Amino acid sequence: MKPLADLRIADFTVHAAGPFCTHMLSQMGAEVIKIETALRPDIFRKPHAVYGRHGPATFDQVSSNKLSVRLNLKHADGVVLAKKLVSIADVAAESFRAGVMSRLGLGYDVLRAVKRDIVMVSVSSSGQDGPESHFAGYAPLFGAWGGLGYLSGHADGPPVEMRHVMDHSVGMHAALATLAALNRRRRTGKGCHVDVAAREVASSLVGDFLTAASGGVAVGRMGNDDMARAPHGVFPTADEDRWLSVSVSSDAEWQRLAAIMEQPNLAEDPRFATQADRHANRRELDGPVSQWTAERNGEAAAETLQAAGIAAHISWAASDIVLDPHMRARGAILDVAETDGKRRAAVGRPARFAGDDSPGITRGTPALGGDEDYVYGELLGLGRARIDALVESGAIY
Amino acid sequence: MTDKPLSGLRVIERANGVAAAQAGRLMCQMGAEVVMAEPSTGSPLREEHPLLPDGQSALFIYLSLGKRSVVCDPATPDFRRNMHKLLAGADILIDDTPVAERAGLGLDEATIAGDHPHIVHLSVLPFGAFGPKAHWKGDEINLIHAGGEGFLLPNGLTADLFPDRPPLKIAGHFAEMQGGTTAAMAALAALWTGQGQFVDASVQDANVAVGAFAVQRFGDGSVEHRLTRSFKFGGVIECADGYVELLTLENRQWQGLIELLGAKDWARDPHLKDEVGRSARGAEINRRIRDWARTRKVEEMVARAQTLGVPMARYNAPEQVLSGTQETARGIFATIDTPDGPVKVQALPFRFGPDPLPVSDTLPGIGADQSILSCPAGRRATA
Repeated sequence: MKPLADLRIADFTVHAAGPFCTHMLSQMGAEVIKIETALRPDIFRKPHAVYGRHGPATFDQVSSNKLSVRLNLKHADGVVLAKKLVSIADVAAESFRAGVMSRLGLGYDVLRAVKRDIVMVSVSSSGQDGPESHFAGYAPLFGAWGGLGYLSGHADGPPVEMRHVMDHSVGMHAALATLAALNRRRRTGKGCHVDVAAREVASSLVGDFLTAASGGVAVGRMGNDDMARAPHGVFPTADEDRWLSVSVSSDAEWQRLAAIMEQPNLAEDPRFATQADRHANRRELDGPVSQWTAERNGEAAAETLQAAGIAAHISWAASDIVLDPHMRARGAILDVAETDGKRRAAVGRPARFAGDDSPGITRGTPALGGDEDYVYGELLGLGRARIDALVESGAIY
Repeated sequence: MTDKPLSGLRVIERANGVAAAQAGRLMCQMGAEVVMAEPSTGSPLREEHPLLPDGQSALFIYLSLGKRSVVCDPATPDFRRNMHKLLAGADILIDDTPVAERAGLGLDEATIAGDHPHIVHLSVLPFGAFGPKAHWKGDEINLIHAGGEGFLLPNGLTADLFPDRPPLKIAGHFAEMQGGTTAAMAALAALWTGQGQFVDASVQDANVAVGAFAVQRFGDGSVEHRLTRSFKFGGVIECADGYVELLTLENRQWQGLIELLGAKDWARDPHLKDEVGRSARGAEINRRIRDWARTRKVEEMVARAQTLGVPMARYNAPEQVLSGTQETARGIFATIDTPDGPVKVQALPFRFGPDPLPVSDTLPGIGADQSILSCPAGRRATA
C-alpha cells in the first residue's frame, strides 16, 4: 500500500504551484479530488498561446492522478457542496490570492467548523498577510521578490528569470508542510492553517547568501562559478550544444583530472596546487578543460571522469531524461496513458519506498467532472436526482 | 515547545552534502530533535562557502541552527556501537554516505532494517541509492544539469545578451535544496505509515520532478531550449536603477500594460487583441517596453504597475529582501548572535498559523551534545 493511501484531499488549487503539491501527495497514495468549474477552467483546459497550444492539453502532469468534479463556488449550493467535500477530507488545499477563500465563504474558520481537525493549505505568492499579500505573481516574480533571480546570472549580466521549477519547488515545500501538519494532527488531534509563501520559498533557497549578506559579506551574481571549487563549470563537447558540467572538489581530484587530460605540467603548476590556488586562477583553467572536453563525446567524457571519482554530468534536455535507463529503473520517469489512451512519458513518484514500489501515476489527466458519480454519489451519498438538480441549478458546473 | 509539527521526533543526520542537511534543517525547524553524527573533524559543511568575515560558514549556520552535534566518527572502532545507540532512540536516519561505503559501516539498507526496523531510513544521494548511476558523484552544478533545468537557463534578457555562452546554473544550491526538501517530504510520508522503511531519495529525481513541465512538453512534441522558451515579451527589464520582472499572461493584465506604457496604438491594433497576435509581435513589443523602462525608476514603475494589475516585481538584492516591507511585516528573519556578530536567518517559508516558527539561536559546536550517547535509548516517539 502506498504511504498516503488513507488520506483524502479536497483540492481547490489552480495553475502550477498548488496543484504540484497535491499531485506529489497523490503520487504517494493520497486520494485527491480536484475541484473545478467550467466557468473558470484551469490553465491546462484552455488554449495556451504562449506555448503554442490552441486547445486543451491532452495531458497535464500536475492534474494527472487526480479525480475531477465540477463545482461552482459562486453558487450558494456549490459552497454547501464544497463544505461537504471538506467534511470528508483530511486536507483542503487552495492557491487563490490571499482572502479569496474567505470571500467565497470557505475561509479556515468555516472549514474548521465543518471539519474540526482539517489541515487547510494555502499557497500564495506572498503569504496570507502583510501589506503585499494581495500581489499577483508567477514563478518569475517569486524569484525576483525573493532574491533568487537577482543572485542568478553572469557576473557581467542581468538577473535571471525563474521558471516552472520555482512554482513546483513551492508546491514541493507545500507538500512537506502538509505532511508535517498531518503529523501534528495525529499527535494532538488539532488541524491548522498552513500558509506557504512562494516568495519566501524563493528566498529560502538562497538563505545562506542572505545570512552572509546580513553579516556584511558582498554576494552577487557569479555565473557558473563556485565560491571555492575549480575547475568548475559547464564546458563544450565535440557535439553542437552538448555541454558537460564538471566540478573538482579536492586536490586529489585535480591531480586525477590533470592525468586524464594528460597535462602533467598543470598537475605540477604551483598556480593550481591547492583549491585556493585553483580558485584564484580559475579562469586560466577554463581553457585547458574546455580544450579537453571539446574534443570528446560528452557521455564518454562524463563516464571517464566519474570513473575517476570526479563529479561530471551532461547538461540534459528533456529528451535525454525521458529515455534514461537510470530514471526509468527508479520509477522517476514512467509511461502513463493520456485520456485518449495514447501513452507518454511522465514524471513519477518523488522517491522510492521500500514498503511500496508501485508506480506513482495510475491514471492520466481526468476529464472535467469525470469523477462526479464516485465523488458526489458514492463518497457524499447524493442520489441521482439530487445531483441532476445541482447540475440543473448550475451549482455543479 | 511541544506544539511544533514534528515535536517529539528524533532524527539522526549524517550529512556531507547540502541535500541531506537541508532535509535535516527542515525537520529541525519544524520541531524534530535533529542530531548530527559528525566525524571528529566535523561535517565538511562547516567549511563550505559563503563564509562570514571571520571564516564561519553562513551555509552551515543556515543549515544547522538548532541541531545537536555528536561525534560519531567512521574512522574509529566505536562508530558502529555509537550509531547503533543513536539509532535505537531515533525515528528517522538521514544519511548521504556513498552507497559503496555503506555496508562497511553497517549503514546499508538491510543492516538498518534488521537492527532498527522502526526507523525511517532516508537515503539522500545525488542519483539515489538504486539504479545504474547510484554510484555517481554529483555537485550542485552537475545536478542542476542532470535534472534538466540547467540546459534551459538562461532565458530572456541574459540569453539575448549572451547567446553563445554555455547554459547557466541557478544561484546557490538550488538543485540540492530541491533534493533535501523532497527527501524530507518523502520521509514524512513514510513516517505516516507508522512503520519503518527505507526511503531512497535522489537529488536528480527531485529536480526532474520540479522540472516536470519540460517532460510534459516533450510529450507534446517539443524539446524545450533556453533560447526559445522565453516569454515572447516581458521578462527581465532593465530600468534606470535596477531590474524588474514583468509577466502578463491574462488579457486584463495586457490592458493594464497598455495603460502603464500609454500605448494607445496597441489598444487600437486588431492584431494585438489576443495572445497569439501579441506573441507573434513579441520582439517589437519588448523593444518598446525595454526602451520605455530604461529611463524609469524601479519603485515608481512597480507601484504603478501593481495598481494597474500588471504583475511586476523588483529584482531584489539580498539587502532588499532582508529589509523588505512584506518580509518585515511577516517577521521571516530572525537575528542570531554568532562569533561574527549578529546575522539574520530566514525562518521556514511556510507556517502553521499566523506566526512563523521561531528560528533556534543555537549553533552546536562539534560534539557539543556528546552526552546524548550516554542517555538511555528507547525514547522513540513512534515505536
